[in-house]
Amino acid sequence: MESDFQHCIRCTICVENCPVFRVNPEFPGPKQAGPDTERFRCDEETSLDKWIGLCSQCKRCEIACPYGVNPAEIILREQLSYGEKHFRPLANRLFANNYYLGTFSSALALFVNKFASLTFIKKVMNVFGLSTYMPFPGFYVHSLGRSWRWKGRRNSPRKVVFFYGCYLNFNRPDIGRGIRDLLASLGLKVVMPKQVCCGLPALGNGDIKTARKFARRNAEILAGYIDKGYDVIYACTSCGLTLTHDYPGILNIPSGKKIAENTYNLNEYLVKLIDEDYIKPEFAPVDLKVAYHIPCHLRASGIGYPAASLFEKIPGLEYHVLDDHCCGLSGSYGFKRKNQETAIKLGRTAAATLKACNPDYIVSDCGACRMQLGHFAGLPALDPSEIVMRSLANPAKITKK
Amino acid sequence: MSSPYDVVVIGGGMSGLMAAISLVEKGRNVAVISKGDPVCCLSTGCIDLFSRGDDPIGGIELLPDYHPYRLIGVERVKESLDIFQDIMRVAGLPYVGDLRVNRKILTPFGTDKITCLVPETMESADCDPDEYIHVISFKGLKDFYPSYITSGHVNSGYSIFDAGVSSTSAIAERFEDKDFLQEFISWLLNLSLPDGKIAFPAVLGTRSSMSIFNEISNRLERDIFEIPTIPPSIPGERLFNRFKNLFLEKGGSLYWGKEIASVEKLGGRIEAVTLSTRGRPTRVQGTLFILATGSFVSGGLYASMDDVRETVFDLETYLPGERKDWFNEDFFIPGHTIEKAGIRVDSTLRPLDSEFSNLFVCGSILAFTEVMKYGCGHGTAIATGVAAANMCEELL
Ligand SMILES: Cc1cc2nc3c(=O)[nH]c(=O)nc-3n(C[C@H](O)[C@H](O)[C@H](O)COP(=O)(O)OP(=O)(O)OC[C@H]3O[C@@H](n4cnc5c(N)ncnc54)[C@H](O)[C@@H]3O)c2cc1C
Ligand code: SF4
Ligand code: SF4
Repeated sequence: MESDFQHCIRCTICVENCPVFRVNPEFPGPKQAGPDTERFRCDEETSLDKWIGLCSQCKRCEIACPYGVNPAEIILREQLSYGEKHFRPLANRLFANNYYLGTFSSALALFVNKFASLTFIKKVMNVFGLSTYMPFPGFYVHSLGRSWRWKGRRNSPRKVVFFYGCYLNFNRPDIGRGIRDLLASLGLKVVMPKQVCCGLPALGNGDIKTARKFARRNAEILAGYIDKGYDVIYACTSCGLTLTHDYPGILNIPSGKKIAENTYNLNEYLVKLIDEDYIKPEFAPVDLKVAYHIPCHLRASGIGYPAASLFEKIPGLEYHVLDDHCCGLSGSYGFKRKNQETAIKLGRTAAATLKACNPDYIVSDCGACRMQLGHFAGLPALDPSEIVMRSLANPAKITKK
Repeated sequence: MSSPYDVVVIGGGMSGLMAAISLVEKGRNVAVISKGDPVCCLSTGCIDLFSRGDDPIGGIELLPDYHPYRLIGVERVKESLDIFQDIMRVAGLPYVGDLRVNRKILTPFGTDKITCLVPETMESADCDPDEYIHVISFKGLKDFYPSYITSGHVNSGYSIFDAGVSSTSAIAERFEDKDFLQEFISWLLNLSLPDGKIAFPAVLGTRSSMSIFNEISNRLERDIFEIPTIPPSIPGERLFNRFKNLFLEKGGSLYWGKEIASVEKLGGRIEAVTLSTRGRPTRVQGTLFILATGSFVSGGLYASMDDVRETVFDLETYLPGERKDWFNEDFFIPGHTIEKAGIRVDSTLRPLDSEFSNLFVCGSILAFTEVMKYGCGHGTAIATGVAAANMCEELL
């Protein structure tokens, strides 16, 4: 599991799988950026690999490598070391602290939403290294973090902590509340304690200190609940990968292993409850055709594609599972101007493959994928839970177009 | 679909995926687990059936009776390759060839490779010695050598196109762009080439390779063909991706990128396997299991200084003689002794001397396959994959 460049046999399979390498000749690809260059890197020296930041950390190279080399993690370490030793551009600083940005923007949602859509402001954003090929996501005053008044079921043998993540918190609290209500309606005790960003945006922007700071705060909260018999549930597959892969891994959080062992993908958890006969939901027909885009970070989680197992149970639902393409946005990656062209090219390709299925909706577990693919395909993009909720007759407000 | 599965296939190479596709086509609930992409992605994408002679099926009939082809029977081998061709035709990546006649394709070194079934983009690769061939390459492309090819074929010439990018995957991606394709075709037309064929490195697109190929061929009004590059190999990748997507389209479940961490046994049967993650291992439960983890290259077999092990179930592994007998200065000679190593099975593809009654084995991990000696890589993978699926069908 741990990355070891010496296991590389130079088969180039990772290179074939790298979405960035395919469209951006500036990036030498996972083999060269990872194991090949790794043997020449010294701990004491300042990294000179300027192109290292072009890797989007989609992890497709890691999934493809048959020899356990894990080029993505070798590259991530180098990105962090580069970030420590070089001046980090404003865009990186901004996105690393995405959580504070979200808290601020939610508080002033009406103003921020309007402000960010002004042409003049877009130009200013470009100057500061931000890309504006698609609108920034809108913010809500009633973020999930402000749902403290909600009291669910008092008690239940099954207790879960919902780790909702920044995107649902600030940008789509409606989906977050829907998931919360869905879990509660299935007889679980659901809590949503105060939580911070999982830390991935900081990791992705070369700032390990901030990432660790966030991770430690979450770890303390989550581990406390786990000790009291709670399971942790996430819906965003990138938050999920960070909790289960990076907390015990690169972030080296003392309770990381415990958190990883007790943390579940939402759909994986639902399948588990059904398999254990804990719940026996009756799935009502959903007469829709959806193209299900598998987020790269779901693939990297090693849990299969559990939402597809739920879709299988929904009568009338026609779904196509597509896992060949990275959406190209990769969290904040595509929002940086230097990556704009890469993000647009990858987004167009992925959207075209989805559209070829002629779907009513796009479905994906990751908020960033949904934004990007919805934008390029010109179709509404839903979280899998919105389909499940519809089938379980929860008051989800989706209608066939 | 979810666990428990009817069949859990371990190893997502040609063999495992062929078995898995055969099973999902019959409506079975199937999972494929693979720690990484298979050697198919490095291969030419052509299907070697038996490459040491003119007639592959005739050659197979003469193999020793413990070779996997002979264990499952020549008729079964033929049927499975027919199934493969049917599947690929429907999937839009048609393969051509005759199981009774081997054919030649050109390699990037200008030599010939003997194989049996080829993707339609290589159908015209078998050239007469005096026929004119014009080779196209791309500026900066390192995995392809036009001058090697033209020096081996007297009546030929070559031209270089600047695609703005220089790696096989980046060029192949460029071809998916309609404007780029038109620009390329215009350039070709302007070359005003003499009559004859045009050869390209195998970079003419990834997802839409057939339509790109047909468009170039139609606009130039002549036979064209692709020459596989040294890895990374786009035709190998196309074949693997098509296979994997067929499995997904038919409702199969994929677990990719993680190794098997442990095996749960129950009374002579395999109950479940788990996948290693940094947290809770993912558990995958099944009624029947197929082992298709490949040979040494993919890690299905692992050689240490004093042992050769099967890496998932620790099955009894056949070794040809003692370690000192394996020494040979030339690893790439056909018939290197170590090639015989692997798992021995009976004619139902169950491992010999194994405690498990619900396990079948297929593909290059089988003992006596000798892929290099006989030139039978994808052929044995496909044939034994279909056979393993049939064995499962009988029990389900
Ligand atoms: C460089 C090269 C070029 C070749 N070219 C050709 C060609 O042109 N034509 C041809 O016909 N043949 C060719 N061959 C041979 C042919 O590719 C193989 O014999 C055949 O594809 C083997 O298929 P397989 O499914 O048995 O195994 P593999 O393709 O090896 O697949 C095994 C899979 O199992 C996975 N795996 C292994 N261990 C584990 C584990 N512990 N847990 C989970 N998963 C595991 C691996 O990651 C891999 O994906 C070539 C071989 C090589 C090495
Ligand atoms: S990192 Fe893995 S996939 Fe990439 S070249 Fe090395 S061994 Fe092959
Ligand atoms: S993580 Fe993704 S972008 Fe980075 S090298 Fe690997 S495949 Fe390429």
